[in-house]
Amino acid sequence: MPTAIDTTDVIVIGGGVAGLSTAMQLGMRGSSVIVLDRAQLGSGSTGRAAGLLGQLRGTAAATKMLMDGVEVVKDLENRTGTEIYVQTGSLRVAETPERAQEIVDLVEMGRAIGFDIDHLPIDKVAEKLPYMKTDDLIDACYCPTDGHLQPAELVSAYIKVGKSHGVQYRPNCPVERVLIAGGRAVGVKTADGDLHAATIVNAAGPWSYLVAELAETTLPTAALGHYYLTTRPDDAHPVDRFSPAVRDRHHRIYTRPESGGLLVGIYGAETIEYDMEKLPADFDMSAMKARFDDIQVATLIHAAQQRFPWINERTSMTITTGIMTFTPDGKPFCGTMPHVEGLFHCSGFSGHGIVQSPTIGVIMADLILEGGTQYDLKTIEADRYFDIPGFQERAAIKSKCYQMHASYYGRVEGK
Amino acid sequence: MRILVPTKRVPDTDQKIRVRADSCGIEDEHLPFVINPFDAIALEEALRIREQSSDNVEVLAVGIGSTEYERELRTALAMGADRALLVESSEQFDPWNVARVLQVIVRREQPELVLMGKQAVDDDSNQAGQFLAALLDWPQATFASKIEFTGNGIRVCRETDAGIEVVSMSLPAVVTTDLRLNEPRYASLPSILKSKKKPIERVAFDELNIELEPRVTVLSMEAPPARSAGVRVADVDELLSRLRDEAKVI
Repeated sequence: MPTAIDTTDVIVIGGGVAGLSTAMQLGMRGSSVIVLDRAQLGSGSTGRAAGLLGQLRGTAAATKMLMDGVEVVKDLENRTGTEIYVQTGSLRVAETPERAQEIVDLVEMGRAIGFDIDHLPIDKVAEKLPYMKTDDLIDACYCPTDGHLQPAELVSAYIKVGKSHGVQYRPNCPVERVLIAGGRAVGVKTADGDLHAATIVNAAGPWSYLVAELAETTLPTAALGHYYLTTRPDDAHPVDRFSPAVRDRHHRIYTRPESGGLLVGIYGAETIEYDMEKLPADFDMSAMKARFDDIQVATLIHAAQQRFPWINERTSMTITTGIMTFTPDGKPFCGTMPHVEGLFHCSGFSGHGIVQSPTIGVIMADLILEGGTQYDLKTIEADRYFDIPGFQERAAIKSKCYQMHASYYGRVEGK
Repeated sequence: MRILVPTKRVPDTDQKIRVRADSCGIEDEHLPFVINPFDAIALEEALRIREQSSDNVEVLAVGIGSTEYERELRTALAMGADRALLVESSEQFDPWNVARVLQVIVRREQPELVLMGKQAVDDDSNQAGQFLAALLDWPQATFASKIEFTGNGIRVCRETDAGIEVVSMSLPAVVTTDLRLNEPRYASLPSILKSKKKPIERVAFDELNIELEPRVTVLSMEAPPARSAGVRVADVDELLSRLRDEAKVI
């Protein structure tokens, strides 16, 4: 327990993968860091994530970021002796001409930047995924180096390595105020007392817009509900541990193997919006539960059934629901805003926080310690909506983020 | 055949439950309410019986409570119940009075089977099913983990401390369900849409001509004491000495 005043180099608000990765990288470079979390470490969106790693993104820069992240993860695996990255490979499938063209474009773009990707004949798809309906597919592409990161193992590794470099972790320590002096963030006020640091990192995920508000800053993120199902192992439809992940944008679903069953998630056209300030102070995301008649669950099951006809509402399964942090363009916010020095935002991963976190930690440490990074920041700068009309009011922000979510699996990659 | 499934609306016990400052109840402002999980299992079983039966089976979900209860009965309809009936009352019902209300509803509806949760997860009484069977003078099987129809009745596997007990009964009967009987389904899209058009039948408690006989009164509620943090012991010797000298359990 701190008594009076504690001082460190960096305070990280939020013990999810974004904050933990940033703290670990800072610790490895010699900074003194303390991570604060309102509840348990990894108990927010991180603890509800599926962790799919599809490295090929709409731009070469975004793809490189994810590819480099895999190297960070492999290093973490060596340091901790745990398996984090499960390299299952991944498939993108197309059942319409538009989606088929999307795959043609993707393969072309991937090859141009040296990413391992190729078309896969439908009969080969059926061989790889005997439990998937393939007779309506017209094209598919396969990325052998994709897979998923195991979120719990990733959290443990960040903490283990962070601890070995002196990072301190303080769970159950909500931040009440961000202390500002002369336009600079200088610390935070918590129930356990004040903490001082020249650098504060806002990695509070769905709560990050509220942390920004503590510093009179508008962070245009919105908290949106997300759902996935996980079938229990079924001898009639065995799912190998290394079955490839599948993305079917037409049906808005993604899947990967999980504990002998199949995990299927959805980016639906509609979802639930959350106002984090209206949830109880001790809200626990891990206790979120879907009702038996939740329309989002019914939509998810319906969508899953289109590609996996053996899944229906009576299938033995668990439903996981949580909250994601979306931004108006689906890209995160990494860096400072012009009017508060020393307050770095690191949030808004729009459903890709687990897989972006390894490199994001490197980028944040670069920005904080060196003021710049080798990575292309253009699309993830925190101030890209600063003072831009239409991105200042909560209602407008929520609506733009919601639209982004709704079109996420509808949109053609790279366009 | 008609199957009557009494359902109770309970707070979701996976959430943090707080006792009110006046110790007379729980804070329910932010609390999500659900169909009692054991009743959801009973409902699922009724739906499966209907699906597997060649006869016409009607599943009737019944709730007792205020209009807020409609939300849970709507869920029951979405899951597939044919009808939903709300006995409207703002009174508190202990298990004895729940059973007396259900007795009247059973007389009206003439089901051949009453399937209900073995207990509700809010008060864990585990009494209403047994009371109801006694009031009706029907055979009963509690803690069911398997239900099979035989030529002239049902065979029920009961989970007891000694193992599985198998009982055969004639119908009509009361069966209370245990956790391992089945896994309730999620409602399908068509079923949710269809359920929105189904009416929720209502009967006012006052119309049933039942004089409440409260036998259990809640005097006060208190939260269990908070657990203190654990300590890490250095070795087995320290563990033993602490268990012996401090905890005094060995």
